[in-house]
Amino acid sequence: MTLTVRLVFLLTFCFGFGTVDAQSVNDHGSAADHHSPEIECGSHDEYDPAGVILHHIADANEFHVVGDFTFPLPVILYAPDHGFTFGLSSMFHHGQTAVDGYVMNHGRINRLTDAPADLMEGHHVVECIAHSSTEIDGKTRDVYSALIDGERYTLDAPSVGDGGLLGGGITSFYDLSITKNVFTMLLAAVLLILLWWRVARGYKKNAGKAPSGIQSLMEPFFVFLRDEITIPMIGEKHYERFQPFIMTIFFFVLFANLLGLVPIFPGSANVTGNLAVTMALAVIAAIVAYVHGNRHYWEHTLWMPGVPALIKVFILTPVEILGLVIKPFSLMVRLFANITAGHIIILSLISLIFIFGNNGESVIGAGAGAVVAVAFTLFMNCIELLVAFVQAFIFAILSASYIGAAVEDAHHHDEAGHHGEEKVAEGGVMGGAVTGMHTAAD
Amino acid sequence: MSTLLLVDFNVLKPDLGLIFWTVIIFLALYFILGRLAWEPIQKALRRRDEEIQTSIDEAKRAREEMQAQADENQRLLIEAREERTRIIGEAEKQSKEMISAAKNEAREAAQKVASDAKRDIDNMRKAAMVDLKKEVGTMAIEIAEKILQKDLKSDANQEAFVRELVRDLN
Repeated sequence: MTLTVRLVFLLTFCFGFGTVDAQSVNDHGSAADHHSPEIECGSHDEYDPAGVILHHIADANEFHVVGDFTFPLPVILYAPDHGFTFGLSSMFHHGQTAVDGYVMNHGRINRLTDAPADLMEGHHVVECIAHSSTEIDGKTRDVYSALIDGERYTLDAPSVGDGGLLGGGITSFYDLSITKNVFTMLLAAVLLILLWWRVARGYKKNAGKAPSGIQSLMEPFFVFLRDEITIPMIGEKHYERFQPFIMTIFFFVLFANLLGLVPIFPGSANVTGNLAVTMALAVIAAIVAYVHGNRHYWEHTLWMPGVPALIKVFILTPVEILGLVIKPFSLMVRLFANITAGHIIILSLISLIFIFGNNGESVIGAGAGAVVAVAFTLFMNCIELLVAFVQAFIFAILSASYIGAAVEDAHHHDEAGHHGEEKVAEGGVMGGAVTGMHTAAD
Repeated sequence: MSTLLLVDFNVLKPDLGLIFWTVIIFLALYFILGRLAWEPIQKALRRRDEEIQTSIDEAKRAREEMQAQADENQRLLIEAREERTRIIGEAEKQSKEMISAAKNEAREAAQKVASDAKRDIDNMRKAAMVDLKKEVGTMAIEIAEKILQKDLKSDANQEAFVRELVRDLN
């Protein structure tokens, strides 16, 4: 195991630094060429904490390691009018080169709009990327544009699934790249597979014996999740079918959370603090619950027996149907908000150093800021460590409770009305408990 | 500072690519870990639970068996003790009986011997008496013959002599 891990790390680093070195040489070359237009476009002399923080918690197409070094990531882009574009993110030279009409804007790939056809093919030099705010439909929006051969071209962000509600929506291209977050998820998946493969091997090796080594370290997690989540939430009868799902969701969320807390290279990505990730996980959990919902569950959700038809039509059924959506929505928002909040707080505290230091002019201020920031960051990191576990636990326990409600057998059908009340009361207590935990963790 | 606006808060915008990869990675992880780890671990844990339960049951059964064995031993011991007492008592009784029987027998035998001896003695005495009487008779006859031959020349002598003889006889 240790040998395998060492080899994997060695290969990753060899590959990584090999490409990084090549890339940084290119960077210096092009930086010298385009020094003057960058100043024209306005460089960032002022320290802008909000911009830095939002940049750090956002997803990116390249993985920043240290200084000018970035770890290039594979790029997979699709534009309906152009087809697929593949490559490594290093080919964009941090925004100084446009490839097939794609430009890197603050780590994210954007696409030129209204550009002549020859710009949409091959490599072109980008003089700079400018930023302005304009009013569109009464809302202020950030507009970025790229300056190529003296012409300004507005940039399109990748398509997002917000339906245009948050200023996104479907644009001229789709970004299916292995981004920083995808890379971290893959890393978490690989680590989980290595870890649990080794644990499972222990069971084969120590069959009929006491567990040893990593097996005895991880076994309490498995047993805890089984005895504290799956069995109480889903019930003795059905829990075995869902134990693998609950285990996977708990550990996937936990590892993504923990990797996000690591401040250096393979970590630091804000994976579970990205709505796309939590949305995908919450929807998967909801689908698992609703697909396994039995007749009893759907009857009680859509047409509660023992309640007057009018109440059912106008109150109960609409509320229950809303509930079907709200359940995964709350899962999605809870995890996203907790993790993003943690990242923002830590980055804000780190920003204090630069704010107190007055952009490097006041060393004493920077020193004082550093003392304060280090103390508070240390404290926040401890809290975030707790939050990483608590949120993974809450995500798992709530998924399990939704599944448990869906697969629960009809116990006393004759007093169905009473049963319904009981369920609601149970839900209230559960919700209260979870909210309590959640607030405490915050 | 326009970056402060919520519109640029792009972690809120669910990136389609990220959703796609999250689903793919999560499902792949679920299937791989399910096949590689969860199922074997679940099976191993269940087997271990069963083994522990069986061992506990087995131990309980063994203890009960041992207890039963010990009870049985105790019972056997008590029985053996009783048996011993009984046997000893019986033996004592038997020996007493035997002794008394032997005594009786001996007494009887002695009595028999004594009575036999008595009877023999009686018989012998009677026989001796008969012999003696016969002898005395023979001697009387011989004496009578001699007397008769010597003194029976006078009647008076004869008579006196006979009388004397008869008197002596009685």
